[in-house]
Amino acid sequence: MFDWKLILEAIGMIIYATFVGFIFMGIERKAMARIQRRIGPPIYQPIIDTLKLLGKKESVSHGFIYDFGPIFALGASITALLFLPIANFQLFSSNADLIVVAYLLEVPMLGIMLGAMSSGNPYSAVGVQRGLLTMVAMQLPYGLALIALIQYYGSFKLSDIVALQSLHGWSILVPALLIAMVVFDIVFQAMLGLEPFDIITAPAEISMGPMVEYGGKHAALLFTQHAVQLFAETAFFAILFLGGASNLLELLVKQIAVLFIAIFIASIYPRFTIDQAAKFFWKWPTILGIIAVLLTM
Amino acid sequence: MSENDGFISYELQEFKLFEPLFRWARKKSLWIVAFCTGCGGIEMPPLFTARYDLERFGMMPNPAPRMADLFLITGYVTPKTLKRIIITYEMMQDPKYVLAHGSCPINGGVYWDSYNVVKQLDKYIPIDVAIAGCMPRPEAVMDGIREIMRKIETGEADGWKRYRENYEWYRKNQDELFGEGWREKDAKRWLAWL
Ligand code: SF4
Repeated sequence: MFDWKLILEAIGMIIYATFVGFIFMGIERKAMARIQRRIGPPIYQPIIDTLKLLGKKESVSHGFIYDFGPIFALGASITALLFLPIANFQLFSSNADLIVVAYLLEVPMLGIMLGAMSSGNPYSAVGVQRGLLTMVAMQLPYGLALIALIQYYGSFKLSDIVALQSLHGWSILVPALLIAMVVFDIVFQAMLGLEPFDIITAPAEISMGPMVEYGGKHAALLFTQHAVQLFAETAFFAILFLGGASNLLELLVKQIAVLFIAIFIASIYPRFTIDQAAKFFWKWPTILGIIAVLLTM
Repeated sequence: MSENDGFISYELQEFKLFEPLFRWARKKSLWIVAFCTGCGGIEMPPLFTARYDLERFGMMPNPAPRMADLFLITGYVTPKTLKRIIITYEMMQDPKYVLAHGSCPINGGVYWDSYNVVKQLDKYIPIDVAIAGCMPRPEAVMDGIREIMRKIETGEADGWKRYRENYEWYRKNQDELFGEGWREKDAKRWLAWL
């Protein structure tokens, strides 16, 4: 009855993505430390952190929705992962999986906010308000970049886009799509929650934003979710603009290249305030996005 | 302590099999509550910058008490601060450790005859490791952190257990200092001024 091969493949992919995602988080911390002339933590540090959080002997819960939020977020990022064509095998696909993945990558944010709101902490409330405003602001350039891609390739299927790129060269070699990539990269920074747009968690400004009440096992779940999310987002970027990959190693190299651009931007820019971020997203990335869309018409 | 806060708090079973692994993980990733009291607030940032980089031991200053494990008491504690310290300490989740540095948390230091400095912090919250010095050098703080890592590994760092078991005693001392019902009183204090 069950398709055992599919289930095993899905489990294998989730384990691989979680592990690599944790290593990516470690690379992020290590690279930022090196940029500030520090030695920094070992690269497997996020795994230790998650283990420690799992080993806490007490967990505070504020009710059902509070527990459900992180699980919902983790589920959404795992679903997004399963729709991605990771190195020539894709577990699920639909006729419009570009749109599906693009929106599944935003659902985790909603899950975290759902849980955070039910904790009743005013810092979480401020974080949620900022998070929702960032999400609204970044939709416009994000959508424009995706429209430029879809118009150029004439397909909503990720596997088609990868196949076309392997025939005609990577997307970033096309001038219009290069502009779209710049737009996507700016939005990407906000999707990862990295520096110019890390308004949502805003460490040290509003405590920890939505995550302020999460501790123990809940925080471990959020860490795992962040790892899967990081893997899925970098893979999505590599698939859309860097021509996908035919094997895992190639994909890994491309993902790390994408990650390093994000880290370099993040470690030299200070944080925007939320009104500046909303204004910024509706100004330069939107203009560039419209140019990209017009060029692909 | 948490029934009347409206939270559901549950203790989790100890998995004996994984305990060594968890102890290693706890030792390797101590997150610090960024709570700077007294003069030590100046001495904390240098611990995390390029010269004495504590992040190589996996430590991280964390602004949220729920996620943190290590509480650095970095100097003299006035009764007003002590209220906040106790509340923050109770918000931290269970394997939690306290490192007091400076002479003031140990016996009052230079403020031995002050009416407004808590002389012996150990009476109010359990301290795992104390470092003397007025202000200790970052090397001394790192030494204290090494000591606390050793204690976590051997399971001697049990301040959180002592706080649970002897809660009546700590509670009695706290109430003696602040008076009964100080949590509610302190929360309502500003209502008249709104
Ligand atoms: S021990 Fe010395 S440096 Fe530390 S808080 Fe007291 S007076 Fe300040």
